[in-house]
Amino acid sequence: MGVAVGILLVAALFLFYRFDPETQPLFPRCPFFLITGYQCPGCGSQRALHSLLHADIGTAFKQNAFMVLAIPYVFLGIYLQYLGGKLRHPRLENIFYGRWSAIILLVVIFAYWILRNLL
Amino acid sequence: MNRYFYIDAEGKQKGTFSPQELQQERLKRDTLVWTQGMEQWKRADEVEELQFLFSVSSTAYQTASENPVNPYPQPPYAGDNYRPMPRTWLVESILVTILPFLLCGNLLSLLGIIGIVYAAQVESFYNRGDFAASAESSRSAGKWTKIAMWIAIGWLLLTVVAVILFFVFVGSLAGLEELITT
Repeated sequence: MGVAVGILLVAALFLFYRFDPETQPLFPRCPFFLITGYQCPGCGSQRALHSLLHADIGTAFKQNAFMVLAIPYVFLGIYLQYLGGKLRHPRLENIFYGRWSAIILLVVIFAYWILRNLL
Repeated sequence: MNRYFYIDAEGKQKGTFSPQELQQERLKRDTLVWTQGMEQWKRADEVEELQFLFSVSSTAYQTASENPVNPYPQPPYAGDNYRPMPRTWLVESILVTILPFLLCGNLLSLLGIIGIVYAAQVESFYNRGDFAASAESSRSAGKWTKIAMWIAIGWLLLTVVAVILFFVFVGSLAGLEELITT
C-alpha cells in the first residue's frame, strides 16, 4: 500500500517536472475558478510545483505563495506522523500540529483565498 | 460493544479496538487494557469480555506469559483515574486539507476541514473530562480524514493515468502522420 502510493507520487512528480501545467491541456483545472472566475487557495499550485522542481522559487512564489510555504510544513507533518518524529519531538507537534495551529491554518487559508482575489 | 486501548510491548498506548479486532493484535494474558467504565488498566485475562482471546486457539501465547517478569506493572502514566486520550487525527486531517489543493481538489479540502474540526474537539473534550465525547470526535475525525484520503489517492491515480494516456495518444498520432506521408 505505502509502496504503491510512493510510486504514484514519484510518477506524479516526474510529470510535473517534465511537463508545464501552464501549456499542457491535460492537468486538472480548478472547478471553483471555472465556475466563478475567482482563484481558490490552491490555484497556481501545479504551476508553482513545476517551477519549484526547476528550482525557480521566485516564480513559484508568484504562482502560489501559500503552497510554496505549505510544502515544508507538509513534510514536517509526514515526518512527525509517519517517520517517528512524534516521539522524538513532541514539542514540535504541539507547536505546529496542535489544536491552535489547525485553527490558525484555516484562518490563513481563508485569508489567502480572499486577499489573492482582492489584490 | 466496548472499545479497548492496550499498552504494547514498547509501552506505547494503542487503540481503540473492538474485542474482535483485538484478536489481530496478539495480546498476551498480561497485556494491560482499558475501556470506558474501568477504574484503571487491567490485565487482558481479567476482563470478562476478552476471555475468549485466551481460549484454546491462542495457546501459543500462553507459554510466553507463563513467567511474566512483572505481571502487574504500573501503567506508564501516573494517576489511578488515568484515561488515555483517543487518537486526535490532527496531523492527518491537516495533510488531507492542504494536499488536495495541489490537484485542484478543493472540494476534498472541505472534507479535510470537517476532519480538522472533529480532530480539534478530541483534545478539548478530553481536557474537560468528557471522555465519551472525546472518543466520539476521534472516530468522526478518523472517518472524514480517511474518506478524504482515499478519494485523494484515487484522484491522484486518475490524474497520473490520464496524463500518461494523453501523451501516449499524442505519440501514436505522430506515428499516424508518418504512415500517411510515406
